[in-house]
Amino acid sequence: MFEVMMYDGGVYRSAELYEMIEDVGGVVLQSTRSSQMLTVTMSIPGEDKPAMEKLCRSIGGDIRGVPLAGTEIAVVGCTLGRHHMPHPICDIAEQLRQYGSISVVMGLARGRGKATAQISKSERDIIDEYDAAILMLGNFKQCIEAKRDLFKDIDVPVILVTGPMPEGLNDDCEAIVPGVGRKAERMRTAEERKKLEEIADKVDEVLRDKRKVLEEDPLFVHPAELKKLLEEYEPINMSLRPAPIVLHLDGLRVKIPLSENIDYFSNLEIYGRKLVDIARITESKINDGSTLIRIKTLSEVEDMDCRNGKK
Amino acid sequence: MEIEVTGTDEYGNEAYKTLFDTIMNDVGKALIIDKVKLVLRPDIPMFIFSVRLINEPGVKTIADAADLRPEGSELHMSISEERYAPAILSQLWKKYGRDNIDQQTRFDLIVHGGDEKTVSEMVIDSGDESKKEVIGALWRVLPEGIKARHNISERNIITILATEEIVKPEMKEEAQRVHDSMKGVA
Repeated sequence: MFEVMMYDGGVYRSAELYEMIEDVGGVVLQSTRSSQMLTVTMSIPGEDKPAMEKLCRSIGGDIRGVPLAGTEIAVVGCTLGRHHMPHPICDIAEQLRQYGSISVVMGLARGRGKATAQISKSERDIIDEYDAAILMLGNFKQCIEAKRDLFKDIDVPVILVTGPMPEGLNDDCEAIVPGVGRKAERMRTAEERKKLEEIADKVDEVLRDKRKVLEEDPLFVHPAELKKLLEEYEPINMSLRPAPIVLHLDGLRVKIPLSENIDYFSNLEIYGRKLVDIARITESKINDGSTLIRIKTLSEVEDMDCRNGKK
Repeated sequence: MEIEVTGTDEYGNEAYKTLFDTIMNDVGKALIIDKVKLVLRPDIPMFIFSVRLINEPGVKTIADAADLRPEGSELHMSISEERYAPAILSQLWKKYGRDNIDQQTRFDLIVHGGDEKTVSEMVIDSGDESKKEVIGALWRVLPEGIKARHNISERNIITILATEEIVKPEMKEEAQRVHDSMKGVA
């Protein structure tokens, strides 16, 4: 059984860490270096966990389990105005990072107000690129209930974080975490830290269900395997963008433009098949600098083969 | 600062009391506010925020914030209230030019060719500016989407009525009632 762990420490002797991951047959899921600090998310066999912990301690770092590793989550606010940002949205995004997820913060253009709040199709399409979305709503029960249209048509799991507990929204979202609401300062008290953990645990619970559904009809290839292959491609390898490849539960986000690299993606082969045959490759809706790869499931690939008359 | 909240949402009442207190402390206006009344009606939606300031913001001149001492053709100035230092400098630069203002330390200046009477009467803070800052802070506390607003300002009392669409006459009457209650009339 593989376990996902996160190393948090300095770059000093990090070569030993990478070497050990390789030796035990593990995979580096994400490696982020900021100045002299290094964060490495890895998947390693459970039986090698004690040895890995020992090594991490000896090189002066810290290692812990990260349940949300390999996911990208959007934390969505009603607007980017100072009424909604930075607290508590950024506090939640930071907590998700502590749990191993790549989290992004996003504000709607016209999400404020009660009767006038709205979401555009392009905003919905962007949110649907992520594994899950956390929607941060305010302090008034009636206003929260009136904002159902903001999230009812979003396809990915939505977790609502609100002030009071709203009624009648359970069918339109996966989970509701009350007790946060609009805030003007950082969530730093013990009670608030506990609430942040509750939100991250709820996201973990929701994504665990999504993983279970995926396990019933597994992907043709695991995103981490595809990532290993993509890393050898020079434009990705040389990319200066932080986290040039981001893992999703059902694919990857690769931060190179599709239009400039269409030939590479069309000709890339994995397990004897072209990538374009086993995955849906599209341009990201955020901008044309990123490419979204959604891997097809085994049954989808088999079905495609049947239609094409292959055995 | 005494905060009184009335409204239809129990959670919202408590949350907005905390929000008001935090934001006013953040923008440095909590010390000049005596009493606050918040009427929160998210069901309409209608919000009335009324504040009574400790003193009516008045006009401040350089003489109120600095000591002046003429010496020949020069005027020596020592700033006694630090928060007005940028405004004093900017007014002096505007009138006499940067070449004629000699800033020896953070608070000590020499104005070459400065006349004591003219300099002492120069306005560095109008009361309106101070009231505008309080109104700005109140807008920051109000929910963002509630954009149709009506202000009532009288001496040291400022009241803001905010709603999402049309400001109806009965809403204005309600705001006026809250405003009058802050004077102790209603």
